[in-house]
Amino acid sequence: MSTKTLEKTSARELDPKKLAARKRAYRKAEPYIWIAPSLILMCLFIIVPIVYVFATAFGKVDRFGRISGFGGFENFANVLDNPEVGRVFLNTIVWTVLVVVISTILGFILALLLNNDFKGRKIARAIVVFPWATTLVVQASVWSFIINKDFGALNTLLKTLGIISTNIDWTPTPEAFFAWEIACGIFVTIPFVCFTVLSGLQSIDSSLYEAATVDGAGYWSKLFKITIPLVKPSLTVSTVLNIIYVFNSFPIVWTMTKGDPAYMTDTLVTYLYKLNFANFKPGEAAAISVIGFVILLACASLYMISTLKKGDE
Amino acid sequence: MNVKKLIALILVVVMLAAMFAGCGKDDKVTLDVVVAEYGPNTAAWWKQFEADFEAANKDIDLLVDVVSWNDITAKVQTLIANNNAPDILNIDSFADYQAAGLLLPAQDYVSETTYAKFYQSFLDQSVVDGTVWAVPDLASCRAMYYNKDILDAAGVAVPTTFEELRKACEAIKAYDSSIYPWGVDMTSDEGQACFAYYIWNNGGDFTDAEGNWTLNDPKNVEAIEFIVGLVQDGLTNSDPATETRYVNQDMFGAGQVAMMIGPNSIPTYIADGGYSVNWGVAGIPASTGNSIAHGVMDRFMTFDNGYSEAEMAAITTFYDFFYEDTRYSEWVLMEGFLPATTAGGEAMAKADPANAAWIEIVGTAKFYPQSKAEWADVKTGVIEVEQSALQGGNVQELLDDLQAEIAG
Amino acid sequence: MTASLLNPRVKKLLLKFILYIVVIDICILILYPYFVMFCTALKSRAEIFAKEGTVFPIKALWQNFVDIWVKAPIGRNMINSLIVAGGSTIIAVVCGIPAAYALSRMKFKGQTAFLGFIIVSQMFAPVVLLIGIYKILAAFGLTNSLFGLICINAAFNQAFTVWLLRGTFMTISAEMEQAATIDGCNRLQAMFRVLLPVAAPGIVTTLIFIFINAWNEYTVAMCIISTDVLKPITVGINIFNGYNMIQWQYLFASSVFATIPVIIMFMCIEKHLVSGLTSGGVKG
Repeated sequence: MSTKTLEKTSARELDPKKLAARKRAYRKAEPYIWIAPSLILMCLFIIVPIVYVFATAFGKVDRFGRISGFGGFENFANVLDNPEVGRVFLNTIVWTVLVVVISTILGFILALLLNNDFKGRKIARAIVVFPWATTLVVQASVWSFIINKDFGALNTLLKTLGIISTNIDWTPTPEAFFAWEIACGIFVTIPFVCFTVLSGLQSIDSSLYEAATVDGAGYWSKLFKITIPLVKPSLTVSTVLNIIYVFNSFPIVWTMTKGDPAYMTDTLVTYLYKLNFANFKPGEAAAISVIGFVILLACASLYMISTLKKGDE
Repeated sequence: MNVKKLIALILVVVMLAAMFAGCGKDDKVTLDVVVAEYGPNTAAWWKQFEADFEAANKDIDLLVDVVSWNDITAKVQTLIANNNAPDILNIDSFADYQAAGLLLPAQDYVSETTYAKFYQSFLDQSVVDGTVWAVPDLASCRAMYYNKDILDAAGVAVPTTFEELRKACEAIKAYDSSIYPWGVDMTSDEGQACFAYYIWNNGGDFTDAEGNWTLNDPKNVEAIEFIVGLVQDGLTNSDPATETRYVNQDMFGAGQVAMMIGPNSIPTYIADGGYSVNWGVAGIPASTGNSIAHGVMDRFMTFDNGYSEAEMAAITTFYDFFYEDTRYSEWVLMEGFLPATTAGGEAMAKADPANAAWIEIVGTAKFYPQSKAEWADVKTGVIEVEQSALQGGNVQELLDDLQAEIAG
Repeated sequence: MTASLLNPRVKKLLLKFILYIVVIDICILILYPYFVMFCTALKSRAEIFAKEGTVFPIKALWQNFVDIWVKAPIGRNMINSLIVAGGSTIIAVVCGIPAAYALSRMKFKGQTAFLGFIIVSQMFAPVVLLIGIYKILAAFGLTNSLFGLICINAAFNQAFTVWLLRGTFMTISAEMEQAATIDGCNRLQAMFRVLLPVAAPGIVTTLIFIFINAWNEYTVAMCIISTDVLKPITVGINIFNGYNMIQWQYLFASSVFATIPVIIMFMCIEKHLVSGLTSGGVKG
């Protein structure tokens, strides 16, 4: 890919006579040359696998994922026949909405706090990055260790402090377990939002605030009239990406419950992982991921269209 | 500076580097081996094995990949889907690979001397259509472990039947409600073992004598209703769907679980963990009064990757090297398992007389019907049944559905 | 509100006080799991599962921190992770900067389509794509190689890189570059000499995002790397996190080590992130 780019640049320099015509042609081609490396990288390593997923979803597939012909919508029909699918979809939506919404709000507030000038701000910012800098598998392990009823750190701490006398079962039902998973998801997503907002906040010209202060604006009116509108565009894209990442997040649920008991805490991704690697139905797993993709595509486009139209584009 | 040139340069350099890295092989025979991680010592043991093997066989390049049980199916699945199956695989089930025509018969690649070392009853567990498709690498045997101090304090005898078990659990709970009388693991990790413990000891089975699936046999239903009942009455650890056998073992060591069914390696596990529990061991309680020992076995299998003669010879060398008597004894003792070869059995019995009894028990133990191609599906199916039953599902209906799905 | 009745100086002090309390509470909450990790890393299994557990280890087993280096090639794994995360960051940025530049400075057909395409490319979880990823890497002979992992990570972080950088570039006026072009610079030189220095803070933010994402990647690495010495730390420490048997003390001890490099790196870069930013940042 890169050699092609090279040729084109040098060709322009080599031929001074037809410069004008060449220049015009080059002007047209130039943007594509600039985006070429990025495009090729993605096509090779993401689009090819995605095409393969589609081939699997619409193919006749054996239990090891080897495709042997076209299967139409058979995989889709099979997977939608499974009684647990409804539950899994519901879980996925609850998971995505709660994690994204709550972490966006909390991350935003945290960013506002950290944007203040105070002693130790640098340390506080470094601490906030901790949950993000730790592998999700480890984060999820720690949290499942903390909330364990029988030897968990939280019960031990509360007992030592004399707040409780017998162990509390923090996860009496699958729903409770799922709530903890969501909490863990929020915990690890906040830093991401926080830093996106922080870098957005820093690009706001302080003269805007000074002018507003002169006009007698209070903290809240400055927040709603200046800060939020100016940070919003920077949040748009990261929220879309965040929705996608959270929707597709695997390690937290997998480490804490593996979707057990009986699919009660599964999200789409852990469910299809099980379909693929424990139940040996790669065709159905691919079908589920195509369905997930369509859902994401619909949500993300709606969101992008509604926010970008109003926004700066 | 020109950014495109820079990009080009970086990419070219990196690609070349990668190609050189990829081209590091000479004309050595390469063996790809994927093995399961049994415990904390497995990885180090294989590292040593790899070094020893390559030192002894200079013309063979051995690549051992130790994968945790967590990831091994995903890994093998990915490899097979890419027509890049490992040469040798160490895992529990083999029948689905065999049914897909991926395996070579064991006698094609195991030398006669090595083949003669295996217990015949173990080899029988890997037979499909009269051919042996995999060789056992180790076994373990399950029995009931109990905390003598707790049982004495609660004034109960060691239970031998389902009824006595329930009574004992109730007595222990009455004695100290902070102790879990009975440890149960219904996780996706080993819930199938739980299923086997109770149905076998209730006179039921996975299949009938002809090998037809009988998952919804009334005796199976009764057995699962019994154990689910124990859980629902609060006589077991609080969350069997997410607490694995290892968590139970640790809690048993810490005196928080009074009794549990577990492998013969529990004493080693407890000692390694630094616990001091006064434990005893007995047969699994059986409603029939005739306790059935539960054996678990893992295997080595060789994938049919169209081998040259040299490669075939290398595979044979691998097996000879692995099952060499002293090395094999070390392997078995490493994580406290039971041997699958006579020589290994003798060595172990000599090391510790207690092992002799275990080796004898495992010889008569019952194993999962792993030579049936549906086993992998049955395994996940029964775990799902157990977990659904915990959530209040009807055992009879759940097992009827599973039976229909598997046999129908 | 009552606050407005107070003397402005008292109010300011009070607010500062509340700010400190809130920030300190948040920091404690964030650090709590690490506190648990550290304390547990120093315990024996018997102490971890003891019926009457303790917050702090009764007898601190510093040996655990030594043992992990023997039990797994942690050092080697960390170097691998650094190579992978560093390499991915470089490739992602090197490919992403020109694309972001084109998207923010030029008008061309398919511009919006390309932006949409980038987002769409993110919509499949790597877990789903495993088999396909393995296929493409196998075609290049890149399975079981760090470079293969670098390519995958760089590709999966393109969306982030391009969108963030495009936003950054768009907040910066193109006038200076145009002036530079008139002075005889070509576009490339203008970008390097004028745009990139001004956009540095935004680029640094992007670097952090990619680096951390690549550092944390687990699923793909697990599937394509099969030699112990090539495994990144995320896969390496999972040796203590078997299917059924988690060796908490070792898992947490090695996690403590695995977290340190990222924190240090962040603290080094954070200075640049904060220092005198007037422009930059992200913009949709």
